[in-house]
Amino acid sequence: MSDVNPLRLIRSAGPDPVAAPADPTGAALHQAGRGDEDAFARFYDLTAAMVHGIVVRVVRDPSMADEVTQEVFVEIWRLAPRYDAERGSARSWAATIAHRRAVDRVRSEESRRRREETEGRQQPAPFDSVSETVGDDLERERVAKALDSLSPPQREAVALAYYGGHTYREVAALLDVPEGTVKTRIRDGLIRLRDTLGATR
Amino acid sequence: MTSDFHHLAGAYALDALDADERAAFEAHYPTCDICRADVVDHRETAALLAAAAAVAPPAGLKGRVMAEVSSTRQIPPRVSDRLVDLADRRRARNRRTAALAAVAAALVVIVGFATIAFGPGDGDDVEAVLAAPDAVVATLDGEAGTLQLVWSAERDQVALLGSDVPAAAPGRAYALWFLLDDGAAPAGLFRPDDGGTLRTVLDVDDLQGDGFGVTIEPDTGSPQPTTPVLYSAII
Repeated sequence: MSDVNPLRLIRSAGPDPVAAPADPTGAALHQAGRGDEDAFARFYDLTAAMVHGIVVRVVRDPSMADEVTQEVFVEIWRLAPRYDAERGSARSWAATIAHRRAVDRVRSEESRRRREETEGRQQPAPFDSVSETVGDDLERERVAKALDSLSPPQREAVALAYYGGHTYREVAALLDVPEGTVKTRIRDGLIRLRDTLGATR
Repeated sequence: MTSDFHHLAGAYALDALDADERAAFEAHYPTCDICRADVVDHRETAALLAAAAAVAPPAGLKGRVMAEVSSTRQIPPRVSDRLVDLADRRRARNRRTAALAAVAAALVVIVGFATIAFGPGDGDDVEAVLAAPDAVVATLDGEAGTLQLVWSAERDQVALLGSDVPAAAPGRAYALWFLLDDGAAPAGLFRPDDGGTLRTVLDVDDLQGDGFGVTIEPDTGSPQPTTPVLYSAII
């Protein structure tokens, strides 16, 4: 195929947009995707608190949370060759995998039973327990402010879904409002958060 | 229906759909520019919510993760990501030219045999592709072995040959992809016979590419590869 210019195939061989120093997390994940365990260790250091934080919020049982966090990182390692920076940041990719794994765990029947035994049927308190958290206080404050900008029903719907790990149907049942209303609150809440956080960035 | 889906991007990004809706949305959103952009956006927002909940994991967890990682195999990159690797391999192409010529010679023998073994039919097409003046021969390497591929751009046909090819699950088929500089184009579905023998010709109207990849897809086809690459080659 002499008429094919091989250069267009190697467009990524030059300066790598994923590995730009502006995003050390993305760079570490990108390298990890090529089998680099040291890079993966760096990625762990950069994302462990976020991953574990959301897993703890959703799973609630501390020993189960440790287990899930470990599974999440092994899964991230396994899937790292598929990470595509065009589909979102490395942090959001990791958060997506972590949240999905945590939610799937609590939605399995056995785990649901365990969770209910240990926690009773109490609803998760949406924005409690900041005392045990770590990480970037400024970032957290910024997010807290953005959450304050939501209407209380939006905030409640987003929190029950994301931190509580509930489906929108469950949220609708918990709040005794129509399912369509919950879907709309979640969507509008996320758009509002995005606009607020984007504007203050 | 589409507007329903647009409404679901937020709930999807928060994993707030039940299993059926999640599956339905996952089938839809990669094909919808609006939903795809919404999902990316909402996931970035969700990551900020996650960061706001950050909690340090127990000190011993990193060691356990790294121990498991060192014995955990990574999945292969997506077909499109693989282009970079394929480009690297392209540099070795000249060295392989002689080997490919040998493969082409061997194929003539295989096809000769196959025609006798299976009688006329597809075999005539296979031979016709192989005999095409512009025939390009490639060996598709994979973990389960290799497939032999012959492509004639002039005939718009690809012939595929292999033996001991693992069966595809019910409802699934192998899919051949042309690798393009920005992704992959579907080139058709195929299955080996019950004995694992593959001998088929795909019509590939007018496609051009620099390589081929094979994945497993639903037997109704997929617009883009959705599973790991099983076999691939640069041409």
